[in-house]
Amino acid sequence: MSTVNTSMAEETMAPRANPLRSFNFSGRFWTALVLVVFVILLGLAGFVYPTGPAEKVGSLYDAPGGGLLLGTDNFGHDVLAVLMAGTRTSLIIGLVAGIVATTIGVTIGLVAGYVGGWFEELLMGVTNVVLAIPAIVVLILISVSLPESTIWSLAVVIGITSWPWTARAVRAQASSVATREHIDVARLSGARLGGILVKDVLPYILSYAVMAFVLQVAGAILAEAALSMLGLGPSGANSLGTQLHWSLAFQAVASGAWWAFLPPTLVLTLVSFGFLLLQASLDEVFNPRLRRGKRKQMKQAAARRAEEARALAAQQAAPSDSSLPTRAGDPA
Amino acid sequence: MAVTGALGGAATLAACGGATGGGDGGGGASGEELVGVGNNGEAGTGRSGEAADQLFIAGFQWSPPTTFNTFAAAPAWPASANVAQYIYETLLRFHIVSGELLPGLAASYEVNGTESITLTLQDGITWHDGSEFTPEDVIYTFELGKIDPGLGVASFWNDVDELTAEGNTLNIAINQERKNVGAVLNSLATQFIVAKSQFEQAVEESGDSIAAWETMEPLGTGPFTLELADQTQIILARHEDYWGQDFYGGLPAMTKIIHPIFKSNEDGNLKFQNGELDVMQQFVPQIWKMWESGKPVGTYLREEPYYTPGSMPMLLINTTKPGLDDPAVRKALAHAVDYASIAETAMSGYSSQVLASLIIPDGAEDQWLDRDKAAADGWTFDAAKAEQLLQDAGYEKGSDGFYAKDGQKLGPWKLITPQGWTDWNAALEIVAKNLQSIGVDAATNFPQQAQTQSAIQNGDFDMACWYVAGTGPATPWQRFSDVMSNVDMAPAGQTAYRNYGRWENDEVNDLLTAASSAADDASKLEALTALDNLYRAEVPAFPLMYRPDEFFEFNAGNWSNWPAEDNDYAAPMFRGAGNQWIFELKKIGG
Repeated sequence: MSTVNTSMAEETMAPRANPLRSFNFSGRFWTALVLVVFVILLGLAGFVYPTGPAEKVGSLYDAPGGGLLLGTDNFGHDVLAVLMAGTRTSLIIGLVAGIVATTIGVTIGLVAGYVGGWFEELLMGVTNVVLAIPAIVVLILISVSLPESTIWSLAVVIGITSWPWTARAVRAQASSVATREHIDVARLSGARLGGILVKDVLPYILSYAVMAFVLQVAGAILAEAALSMLGLGPSGANSLGTQLHWSLAFQAVASGAWWAFLPPTLVLTLVSFGFLLLQASLDEVFNPRLRRGKRKQMKQAAARRAEEARALAAQQAAPSDSSLPTRAGDPA
Repeated sequence: MAVTGALGGAATLAACGGATGGGDGGGGASGEELVGVGNNGEAGTGRSGEAADQLFIAGFQWSPPTTFNTFAAAPAWPASANVAQYIYETLLRFHIVSGELLPGLAASYEVNGTESITLTLQDGITWHDGSEFTPEDVIYTFELGKIDPGLGVASFWNDVDELTAEGNTLNIAINQERKNVGAVLNSLATQFIVAKSQFEQAVEESGDSIAAWETMEPLGTGPFTLELADQTQIILARHEDYWGQDFYGGLPAMTKIIHPIFKSNEDGNLKFQNGELDVMQQFVPQIWKMWESGKPVGTYLREEPYYTPGSMPMLLINTTKPGLDDPAVRKALAHAVDYASIAETAMSGYSSQVLASLIIPDGAEDQWLDRDKAAADGWTFDAAKAEQLLQDAGYEKGSDGFYAKDGQKLGPWKLITPQGWTDWNAALEIVAKNLQSIGVDAATNFPQQAQTQSAIQNGDFDMACWYVAGTGPATPWQRFSDVMSNVDMAPAGQTAYRNYGRWENDEVNDLLTAASSAADDASKLEALTALDNLYRAEVPAFPLMYRPDEFFEFNAGNWSNWPAEDNDYAAPMFRGAGNQWIFELKKIGG
């Protein structure tokens, strides 16, 4: 988990001519974007794919071939169709759980960091307690006790068990932002607590919140897979996890039906890798000190800045008043 | 004889390329034609050393053994009731294919109408400690049910008034109110006989709660004694002074029977495929892949469904729920289920086509089935007809796509079965999709086993996949009783032991009595057919598939002469008559 304390203050100060260029997206970012977009497209492809995930097109574990790119699963359904539906479900669960977890985490962190005092102690105490309990155990217990598990209930359950580390990190940043001058100005001008939190504190940690959200999405997709593998997945829906669950239950590994368990495994790997890479590359975008762009780019940027500085100097030097003191050794 | 020619369905092999029976290098069995080998006609070359004389078995024990008291709640293999006649034995042995009751500890039996049953014991039976087996042991075994009414054996006395001995003959006076000969014979075929000497002590030590008494030294009459039981395995050693050497024609072929304890099906299946296990009782998806890849693996039926059907997992329906209390709806549900799909995928092809009957159309029960009636008044998968039946009964499809009548929607209903019972989990997934597609709102839900069982027994469910009596001396009557009996009806919220769907009917009890007390086969057939007709009219529950009573699969890597269709000297069983083959297996190597 990255908890880099970054501030966009310097970044947002001076508007630049080309905002995209100033973001300085790295190759890693584009790679991550391609991966994530690929998975999202795979999820959406289910809408145009001719075969539905619940259509029986063959028998138990038919090998790929005969118009079925990935063969059939243990129900005789088209693995590719199930994979598309499953990817979509997993992404939905990931997004919803990510939104829930990030919202809870950021809210608690903001309030705790800004308000401080005993209230902060209390909130952080709760957070630390929750952090100490293994999330997967809580997840399993809640899932078992739910009367029925749907996509939405699962997403919310995952969301409300994975916010604590976000809350901790946000609190640290919020408490540092809380001591800055512009907050005092806001307070003196009579702004309310909510207003200050949203308008004056949040923007400074927004970049971090976005990165936390990306991580939460990846984490939630994996958590869903873990739960579904145990058979606690959403009933009546396909997800990457339920696909793995059924392939385990029907011993796809032992009977050599690789097409039943490899694709979901691969997509899970891709999606979590893509999101993690995205988070790491966003880190570079938001925090110039971490940039690891190509040397050539760095040189270009340095040259560009030197050029600008020279031009500025030339502009200033143009009226050339001899009244300006020049230090010894300066070129005249 | 059995080789390559009689292959049939599995003949997608590379034109019988493999050599038979350890052919490479002309091993031990050269020249001899082996029978009872893998479905591909293959056999192994046998193990070397001590292991060549041992039988490795699996699929019965999943946790470390704690007690070998056959009356305990969870006794270890092979002391658990009716699992195998290795240590303990039963008076009679049921044969699942022929339906016969073969002699066991009793040399013969005679049923005198519905009045009484007479048993004559074998001569010279001894316990493992050398002491003599007497009729007293038999009487005491059943009397334990009177000492501790919590034991399963106590139900014997519901149907029996008196059990007395005269010399070597036992006389059982049947309860004349119930006249249930089948249930009594079932007890005689499944109840292990224990030593009075040992269990008198048990009663004393446990203060009459016999189930709680623990022992690691089972004292039986069978051909094996317990040698070792620990976390990883249970080992039985051949009892050289076995009483039945004349009766069975010798001692068992193996010196030891070893049951390794695995964590999961997967471990066992892998070892089985590699020939480290000789025979097992486990669900193996697509077992044909094993013999298609040249392993000497075989099943009793050489072609689909490979296993002899012996049980009938039912979709139980809680008939107290609004909507499900309507027979028309239940019949529509029975039409909505794609049985072929369940058999093919969830059961991996190990189930034949389901008939609309509570009688298994195969083996021992087949004689009681009226096939034409089952086909004429029954149901098969037909989604259009299912919807038609609902419409005829006055249901209309609402805007949500689900049928309803008088504001009563069909659903939302939950289909439950224990988590991890994978074949049933998959079957219910298919059922849920089928019901959704005809406009009935149903979804699956898989609680833990204990939770599922209590929900079913207490009537706290909508629909469930659960088992009823498997083929035995008392079926099909027992199955009709399990599904339909109105005797001692328990209202929802109280524990029921039969008719979990709480289906109420006025005539069923009389029909059940008529079937159980029928004096001859003709009247028995008539009564059973009447029951089956009532069942088809009312559909209190319906079967989803057939399942083997036991998954009997063998690997002829070390032993040949396994029982199979083409070598049917014994039944594909472990329990009852399934001890026959341990005397007849032939070692391949050495």
